[in-house]
Amino acid sequence: MPVSSAASAPARLTRRGLERLDLLLLCVEALDLNGGEAMVWMSEQMGFTGLFPNRVELWKRRCYNPLRRTTRRGALDPAETDALIRILCALADRLYPMLRALLATAEPEEIRLQRWALFQSRLSELARERMNPRRVGVQTLLDPERGAPLRRQLVQALAFGSGTGGFERLRASLCDPAV
Amino acid sequence: MKTTLRYDQLSCHLQVEGLPDVSIGQVGEVVGIITAWTLQWSGRPALEGRKEHLLALMQVVLPYARHLISGVARPFGDDPQPVRIAPAAEGPGHRLQLRSSQPDTPPLELALDDAELSDLVRLLDQLRLDPRLQLALDLPEPQPLRPREVLQRVPRRQRLVAPVGGALVVALVAGLSWLWPTPKPLPSPPAATTPAAPAP
Repeated sequence: MPVSSAASAPARLTRRGLERLDLLLLCVEALDLNGGEAMVWMSEQMGFTGLFPNRVELWKRRCYNPLRRTTRRGALDPAETDALIRILCALADRLYPMLRALLATAEPEEIRLQRWALFQSRLSELARERMNPRRVGVQTLLDPERGAPLRRQLVQALAFGSGTGGFERLRASLCDPAV
Repeated sequence: MKTTLRYDQLSCHLQVEGLPDVSIGQVGEVVGIITAWTLQWSGRPALEGRKEHLLALMQVVLPYARHLISGVARPFGDDPQPVRIAPAAEGPGHRLQLRSSQPDTPPLELALDDAELSDLVRLLDQLRLDPRLQLALDLPEPQPLRPREVLQRVPRRQRLVAPVGGALVVALVAGLSWLWPTPKPLPSPPAATTPAAPAP
């Protein structure tokens, strides 16, 4: 089993962890056309108004992702990181039927491919708008062929991170060492 | 009084029956002793067992899902354990194997896709975090992976490309440098001659 120090203590994410967290939030926006608004609403519902008083503050925290066009240096405060992960898990829980539909193999192949194509087009649109296209990670995400495993892994992470026990699992995953 | 806990997801349903452990003062609609459980899959045989089997299921499925989030798909559940889960050999999906404690009973294998696995993980999460289940489950908390485990998600061939390529380039440069001719020593400069004295 993996080992580390206290898992329940608030975590300071590495740059790679921040990158993944923002990409997962971007996936939520790709799945839900009103995802940006839902994030702000969820933050208020969960009582994080003190940490993110408005959408600009929420946006600024997401800009610690090194893949962004306008990226911020430094690291996020562990309390802010935990709040963002909690918001992400709550949004993933709301979107679980869509995540499940993307991952299920029981439906006809044609419908599944259409779903993935729609998700990919929305995600690419958002990534082109906000991410630095010179970064290899962004180029991989935008590539229809090479980016498919990455997109699938992001959707899988959202599905396993949703629900009551998803928070600890997702947070531990975002704290993985960068190698 | 017997208490029944029910959890539902789209592809599976879990029902746990139990009693409060009155020896430690539990009362009301809580479960301190699990007497039976049933996991029903749509279109598949129902799974039943004792508390140990349910615990074994949680002990392999939850860490497996934790590793999958990090992109590491590796089997969980060694031979003596009654449950094993591993990535399907024939493409995407997962194989859940349940070994019976009865002799001469072949293990039951279930092929799950990602959606069914996430349904199962949600069910098990609902159960372990249910305040009505007042039972020490002894499950490890999710932890960040070790660097070596993270490395496993990159195929070995891909991991070895850079170091092997670098070693080959060094060997090639060293070989070529052996072929480079050694410069010949420069001829020694002629001895300095004293000029002849002018005739008177």
